[in-house]
Formats: sequence, structure tokens, C-alpha cells
Amino acid sequence: MMVDEAIRFLSKIPPFQFLEDALLRQVAGSLALEFYPKGTVILQQDGTVSDALRIVKKGVVKISLRPKGGGDEVVIDYREPGETFGLVSLMGKRQKTTIVAVQDTICYLLPKERFNELLGTNPTIMEYLLQFHLTKYADMTSREIQGKSLFLGSSDHVLFTTQVGEICTRTAATVEKTATVREAAQRMVDEKQSAVIVLDEKGIPAGIVTDTDLRKKVVAKGHPVDSPITTIMSAFVVTVEDKDHCFEVILKMLQHNIHHVAVTRDGVLQGVITNHDFMLLQGRSPLAFSEDIEQQKTIEALAPVSGKLLNIIGVLLREGARAANIIRIISELNDRIVRKVLEIVEAELGPPPVPFCWLALGSEGRKEQTFRTDQDNAIIYADCETPELAAAAAGYFTMLAGRVRDGLIQCGFEACPANYMASNPEWCQPLSTWLRYFSNWVSEPTPEAVLKSLIFFDFRPLYGDESLARSLRDHLNLEVPDHASFLGFLANMLVKNRPPIGFFGTVVVERGGEHKDELNLKIKGIAPLVDIARLFALEKGVRVSSTLERIKALRASHTIVSEYADELEYAFEFITILRIHNQFRQLEAGKPIDNFINLETLSNLEKQTLKNAFRVILKVQELVMERYKAFII
Amino acid sequence: MGFLDWFLGREAPPGGAQPTAALVSGTRYVVVDTELTGLDPRKDDIVSIGALRMSGGRLEIGGSFYELVRPSATLDGKSIVIHGITPTQVAGKPPIDSVLAAFTGYCGNDVLVGHCLSIDLSFLNREARRLFGGPLHNPVVDTLSIYGWLRNRQAGHPIFSSPLNGLRLYDMAKGFGISCEGAHDALADAFITAQLFQRFIPILEGFGIRDLDDLLRIGNPGMQGENLFSPGGRANF
Repeated sequence: MMVDEAIRFLSKIPPFQFLEDALLRQVAGSLALEFYPKGTVILQQDGTVSDALRIVKKGVVKISLRPKGGGDEVVIDYREPGETFGLVSLMGKRQKTTIVAVQDTICYLLPKERFNELLGTNPTIMEYLLQFHLTKYADMTSREIQGKSLFLGSSDHVLFTTQVGEICTRTAATVEKTATVREAAQRMVDEKQSAVIVLDEKGIPAGIVTDTDLRKKVVAKGHPVDSPITTIMSAFVVTVEDKDHCFEVILKMLQHNIHHVAVTRDGVLQGVITNHDFMLLQGRSPLAFSEDIEQQKTIEALAPVSGKLLNIIGVLLREGARAANIIRIISELNDRIVRKVLEIVEAELGPPPVPFCWLALGSEGRKEQTFRTDQDNAIIYADCETPELAAAAAGYFTMLAGRVRDGLIQCGFEACPANYMASNPEWCQPLSTWLRYFSNWVSEPTPEAVLKSLIFFDFRPLYGDESLARSLRDHLNLEVPDHASFLGFLANMLVKNRPPIGFFGTVVVERGGEHKDELNLKIKGIAPLVDIARLFALEKGVRVSSTLERIKALRASHTIVSEYADELEYAFEFITILRIHNQFRQLEAGKPIDNFINLETLSNLEKQTLKNAFRVILKVQELVMERYKAFII
Repeated sequence: MGFLDWFLGREAPPGGAQPTAALVSGTRYVVVDTELTGLDPRKDDIVSIGALRMSGGRLEIGGSFYELVRPSATLDGKSIVIHGITPTQVAGKPPIDSVLAAFTGYCGNDVLVGHCLSIDLSFLNREARRLFGGPLHNPVVDTLSIYGWLRNRQAGHPIFSSPLNGLRLYDMAKGFGISCEGAHDALADAFITAQLFQRFIPILEGFGIRDLDDLLRIGNPGMQGENLFSPGGRANF
């Protein structure tokens, strides 16, 4: 009777409705029923994990989490009758969310043991459940990211988008079948692996030995260590192809109750993946990533971590995060890598003879990097009182800048082709020299000086003594108002870069050449907005360097910005997201990354929005022309 | 805390660090209902036993117990109206002797829970004495006694302030939104009782009742009347 009622209920909801009658009856018979009065905390974040999959029969539950390191509780989802919860918890070691009954709620409980059996016998059913839970979880989280927490990565989604080959960095430790237990253990120690694959004469995996085997079969049993490894190996190696998606591999691990799986490419052993790797993958939120950066002690170890940044951006894009958040996260993480490299190099070289400050310049200075851009940086160090000290400082910082440049190259930041880098002695100077540079550029705005100012005036302190950077910013803000002609130059230059809107209001594309029919989003879209924000920021002595921050800071004080702030911000965000998406597509397709976009690939709405963005630029450019008409040639 | 629980690692092993007091939430229960030919233990008989298991507040959907019994007395028209069981239905069924043996096996040492349990117990114990020489040894809890105790303490649910003449199991269940539709046999009523007990557990917790000993005291079937109608009680009678 109770079983029949459960069957009737289950037969109306996916995925249980797809089960055969006999199996459905079995499942129904294994259920339990619980009642939670309104307000009951069913599962508590960081508390005990769930021992059952719960199916809401009546009522509603709320799923929420409190971000690590504090912050407001974020509601991730509500679950209603017919929906399930607690799946992620069932598979994990730690309860990640808090689940509360918001009404009197009745749930059916599918016990963990029964769930695991189903997992083995009905992978398609379970796949549905996994999809439902993980994508729903991820989607809701990303929606929350937009509104609330910057660093709240949703990590489970990546299980469906990541191929196991991408995260299998671990090469397998292998031994021949003839090896002894001791030799195999030694190989595991040497290669810092928790498992070793035993190969037969033909080099094909014949078995696997894990730490657990050594503990249970050798140490606990007093098994002789000079006996052949084949006496303790598990003769069955579970293998997956590198193209398999991670969640399929997790399913296999659950099915076989194992922690090590061999990864092959076209049948050839590539490496071993462990449940630990998946924990790292699931922790591939920006926050976990930054923790990963912090833990590294050498550039060699940092470089592969840095390489994972692209994946993070991919995740954020797929989850629909806002452009402003994406570029902030990218710069935040890039900053941490740069700081880490500096920390490592400084530790190698010993303390500097005088204080210094590492500056990020250009797009890095504006925190507007998209995909890995080249290095733009400089060093200011404190003025030295004696020639000896000056010589020592020059020597030290040349060494430091050179090593940091190389370290950054190792981490994937290409060298700047125009050599705007601290490793160029011209851009590794004491404060007094920098003050002179800036004064010269402002007072004698030659085209070359203006070009440099565009890159250098967007500077931002990244590491070291920030007071040096502050002194430089103070100096610049004092100099600019005395040199109206400099601002005039900037204004003149920016109005020359007209938005590509034709006479009939159509967007004008390249007429020929390599990028025929395409549009350069960086030059035609981003640059004018960046230039406008920079000009206005210099007018008002605004200290922040990013375009959106500048617009925000100018909202109250700048007449043009106060009128067009919303439109400018929106235009900037929209073109940025178009650019990032375009680049990510190029990257995924294995094409070189550039800033060109083919308008035909855009939807009508996107085209219209782009056109509107250009109109805003045009409008503001006209106002700039009006304001600086004495300087406009 | 059956052996299976221990074996599956759900509870501390016997002889290990046992909790000093058994908890309501950690106890295994068998919720039971019987159907009778009448209410007089001297001449009436059990016609069916329905039961299911609970582990704390967790009600097990499968593995319930339901047996029809061939009564020694013939079924008369009056009782057929009540339970709807006809003589032909029970004709081929086992006698109470084998059903009770199966039932006591099903119960093991679990706590028995029932609504107005004293009546069921008087019949079950009569048969147990006859068959095994003594009454059932299981601890017992009566949901009606719990109801009375909660009513006296003005528990914050409308059902605890409704008129006392609406004290039938179904009325109480409906008050908690528990479905009472469908056929009413001993198992269906045991299921309704179990869900009622499930609602009572968190309410009792609100009054600080977490230890099994306290539950057994409050749920004592003999306390039914006292809980409901004690002079200090607030029953509006």
C-alpha cells in the first residue's frame, strides 16, 4: 500500500518514471519517508553529508550557502515536489550547502547504498540526476555571481564540460611485472605517486597497486617486500579514454569503488587520475585557483597552475558571468601570479637595497586584460642618496626585473614587443626619473610622448611600496592642469578614432585585406571608450585606473559622464563581452587570438546593441570636440 | 539500533562507547494497528495485524507487515461493517498462533507504537500469554498519550486546541495534513499512526523531549486518560 503510493508518485517524475516496473517497485520499497516541520535544517553547510537522496513529496526546501571567508548567505535554489536534493552531498565528503524546509515538507529518501547500486545498473538514469543537480546548481550559482559574490565559482558544472585528459597532469608511475613490492614502492616514492601501474611484457597495463594495497596487503599482513609485485596487485585496471568527460569517470570510480583510474589515449597509457584530481577540479573556482597560486614556492611549480587560468575563464563564460566580473577576476588572478613571481624572485635575490614598487601598465594597469596579454610593467624605486647605493640599486633591480620577466614568460605572459617592461632599463628607474618622464610627456606632448602616456598613465601599483606609486600619481595630477595642451592632444587623438558607423547608420567593416568584412573590436570599440575615460580622469585628477572605475568615480563630478555614465558603462561591458566570447571561440577552435569579429556571426539584437554602443561613443566624442575645440585640428 | 545498523557502521559497536541514554531519534520503532471482531478481550478476536518500521523519524516504505487472521469465533455482521473483512476473506488465512509468532519475530526488541494502543495490546498480550506464557516484552508508546501530554502543554498546533470529541485518529491526522484516503485496513491505519508519530517527534523536541526514557513515560498507554483529563490539565471538557 505504502509502496504502491510511492510507485504512483515516482512514476510521474523523471528520472524514476523511466525505470522498468519491477525496478521501480524495488526502488520504491527501499525508500524511507521523513517529515520536516517548517524551518528544519535538513542539511547544514560544513556538517555531515547526506546519507540519502531526498525526493520532495510535499513542501519546499531552500538551498543556500555562505561563501567561504564570510559574506551574505546566497540562495542557490528552491526544490519543489518531484525534485530531488542532496545528490552532490551524497557524492562528496563535505556538505557544501545548507538545506532548510521553508514549508512543512515531506521527503522520500533513497538510501545511499541503494543509490550506489542504481548508479551501477542504470547509468543513464543517474546521468539524468547528475545533470539535473549539477547544471541546476551551476546555473543558479552563476546567476548569483552576477549579482553578488565575485569569487563564488560553481565548480560542479565543469564535470560536464571538462575532458579527463585536460586535468590528467599526473603521468603514471609504472613498473614491469617482474619488479618486487619494494621496487614498486620505491618507484611510487620517487615519482610522488599514490599508485603504480604494472605493465606486462608488451607494455600493456596488467594491474595496479595503490597506497591502500601496500598498507592492507603488505604492511598489515607482513607480506614480504621482496616478493613479486604481481602477488599484491589488483589485476584489473579500470581505464578511461582521455576524451571522456569527467563525470563519466566519476561514475566509473563510484561503480567500481576505486580511487585510481588509468587514462589512455587511443589505448596507450597516458597517466593516472585520482579522486583527488576531481576534488581539485571541483575546486577550480577562481578562489580555489588563487589558493593554488599562493601555495607554490617555485616558478616551475607556478607555471602549470598559471596555465589553468584559461579553463577558469571558459567556465565563467559558459556560466554567463558579466564582462565586468570576468575581467576583474582575470586581472585579480593575473595579479596574484605576478605577485607570486615577484615574491619568489625577491626571495631568491634577498631584500632590495631600497624600497621599490612594481607597476602594471596599459590594459593590465586598467585591469582590463582578456586572454593572456603581453607584459606591460615598470619599476619605480626610491631615490638613492649615494652613487654607490644608486649603482647597487640599479644592479639589483635590473637582475630582479630580468628574472621576473623570464618567470612571467614561463607562466605564459609573453614579453612586450615594444619592450614596455621593467627589464628595459628605461622603465626601471628611481622615482625622480619617473617624475621627470611624466613632466616631459605632459609639457611637450609629441606624438611619441602621447603614445607613451597612454600606456604609462594607466599605471597601477601591483607589488612593493605603494607610496612610490602614490607620489607619481600625485605628481601627474599636479602637472596635468598646468598643461591644457596635453589634454588637447589626447582629445584630438581620440576624436580622430571615429566609430565605424556609415552614412546610413550601418556598421562599417574592413573593406579588404586579411580581415575583409570584419571589425576590430579593440581599436574601434574598446579603445575609444578607454581613451574617453582616461581623458576625463586626467581632467579631474581621478586616481583609479580602470575604465569602469573611472566612469564610476566621475559620475558625480564630470558633466559629460554624469549624463552618459550608464550608456558608457553598458557600451564598454557589451563590447568587452563580445570580444571575450569571440576570443574564447577562437581559442577553442585552435585559431590565433585577435580582436576581429565578423558581424554576420552576431544576432540582430547584438548588432543593434553594438550600433547603439557606437552611437554613444560618437555622441561623447562630439561633446569632447565641443569642449576642446581650440585644440581639434 | 539493530545488528544490521551496527554492521553497516551506522551506530557505535556494542561494548564500545555507548551513549548514556538512548535517543528518540536513534531508536527503532514498529508502528502497529490491529483490527478486531469487537472490543471485548474476553470474547472478541484479532482479524488482522498491520505494522511498519520507523528508525527515529524515518519511516520505512518497504518491509511492512500485514497479515489477515482466521478468527476462532465467526465474524458477525456488526464487526464486518467496521473493518470490512468478510468471512470468506479470512477463511483460508493462518490462525492467530502463527501470525503472532511472525509478528513478534518482526518486532524483535523494537519499541511498539500505536494509537490508543492499550486496546491492541490487550488482545496481543492475551494471545501472547496463551502462546508464550507472558505478554510482549517490547517497550510501548501510545500516540494518544503523547497527544494528551502535548495538549496539556498547549503545543502550538491547532490540533491541540480542537474540541476533544474530535480525537479519532483520522481527525487528528487530517489536522496535520496527513492523507487518510483509500482503504482502511490495519496497515493503512498503522501508516497514518506512523505519520502522526512522525509529526509529534519534532514537537516533543521543542519541549526538550529527546531521550527515549522520556518518550516512554509520556507515551505510556496507561497515561492516556491522565494526560488528557488530569485535573491540572487544560482539557476543555
